[in-house]
Amino acid sequence: MLSVRDLVTAYGKIEALRGVSLDVAQGSITCLLGPNGAGKTTLMMTLAGILKPRRGRVEFSGRRLDGVAPHRIVASGIALVPENRLVFPNMTVLENLHAGAYQRRGGIEHDIERLFGRFPRLKERAAQPAGTLSGGEQQMLAVARALMSRPSLLLMDEPSLGLAPLVVEEIFKIIAELHRDGATIFLVEQNAHMALKVAQHFYLMEQGRITFSGDPGSLAEDEVIRRAYLGTAR
Amino acid sequence: MEPLVDFLQNTLDGIALGASYALLALGFTLIFGVLRRANLSYGPAIMLGLYVATWAHLHFAHGLAVLFLIALASTVLAGAYVERLCFAPHRGGSAVAAMVASFALWMQLEEIATLALPRHLYEFPALYDGPALSLGPLAVRPEALVMLAAAITVAAALWAILHRTRFGTAVRALIDAPRAAALCGIHAGAVSIQVFALASAIGAIAGFLIVASHAQVTPMLGMWSTLKGMLAMMLGGLGSLPGAVIGGLALGLIEAHSQWYLGPQFRDFVAYLLLFALLALRPPWMSTRSAS
Repeated sequence: MLSVRDLVTAYGKIEALRGVSLDVAQGSITCLLGPNGAGKTTLMMTLAGILKPRRGRVEFSGRRLDGVAPHRIVASGIALVPENRLVFPNMTVLENLHAGAYQRRGGIEHDIERLFGRFPRLKERAAQPAGTLSGGEQQMLAVARALMSRPSLLLMDEPSLGLAPLVVEEIFKIIAELHRDGATIFLVEQNAHMALKVAQHFYLMEQGRITFSGDPGSLAEDEVIRRAYLGTAR
Repeated sequence: MEPLVDFLQNTLDGIALGASYALLALGFTLIFGVLRRANLSYGPAIMLGLYVATWAHLHFAHGLAVLFLIALASTVLAGAYVERLCFAPHRGGSAVAAMVASFALWMQLEEIATLALPRHLYEFPALYDGPALSLGPLAVRPEALVMLAAAITVAAALWAILHRTRFGTAVRALIDAPRAAALCGIHAGAVSIQVFALASAIGAIAGFLIVASHAQVTPMLGMWSTLKGMLAMMLGGLGSLPGAVIGGLALGLIEAHSQWYLGPQFRDFVAYLLLFALLALRPPWMSTRSAS
């Protein structure tokens, strides 16, 4: 569904992505692991069109998307839940959801009702400015806002960042539910334990390159990854 | 009794003056809030719009309503021209480059206006040329009431546009978190030119009422509008629309009172001194809301 080939994104002279290639299969949860500074967020920002790649291809359902503007990427069916959530702090929860549906015309109210069913806490806080929400609630709002564009591919950049363990479990429960309903998800995550419970395919990124690709089984067998990301030696 | 009457009269005059500043500041703040860029050509676009109206008045057009529509249309066109030339090419780029470009266009717009109408001062049809209304011992100019009513109406309409429309959602999203707005599929470039058009329309309303209240127009209107709009915005806390209204009214009151109690030469001095103090002390409301 999503195919990335030899993608290079640079900040000035520094190449943060140094030829990244990976695939995300339709209906899967694919997880990207990697240390801080490996280029994971740069990859997400490039896929969402915020950063322009220097070289390489991004294809999504057969269409070239590298170097395309963010609003066209949203229109083509990709939504990113950004790192640190980036809700609109001075707008209400409801207004945040409307902003997420910016490119759509009909059926918005119906989708909001449906999302309120999935995220009852957001319904309670509908009229509250998003900046007054807790971290976990903001994360749920960021997910709900991204879903408002009815994406066929959901990108998530470290949804568990800075959240309490119970809240992280709730977020991953929602990720699993979305997947069960047919969503395709490409997830950046440091929390490999949680990711192992939901993802079908893993990539490891180090210093701007993909250094591992495999299913959860082979991930758990890789000695280096076990030590670095699962914290257990054999 | 006398000092109290003076104080009340100054306050009344200050509110009337402040209403015009509030209008100017609303337009200026709208652009600054969305783009994080100071548009120095904001006032000159208004000036050009009023000069086109003056030119039309000298040649064929009559009636305040017709002149208002001419001023409105030409200010909006000038504003869109400024956006395309100065701000669209620098989106996401250098704020200083955009500001310098808008300074260059200021010069250009002023040249166009003064080439077409080279005299320093032109008469403009007066909004009202009768005597002031008396309110007990106080005098109220009817055009001041019109200005106040316009400021309240524009502020309310702007609030409704920003809070009740799809366009308003996009504008506020861009003010709140520009990157998140892009991720929601909001196209900053398309919204930006609409914001310029809206801000220019508000500026045109302000400029028209100011010019028609004084029954004259000079090329100084351009610089004056940019300065007053910017000053009122800064006093109101940089980039908040309610702050723009408060800052405009505060500036009007400060000017009216300092002119009366300290003398006309202190009128601008006190306002700038206060701004300097605010910038030096940076009270909590005086901060740009975080862009990310």
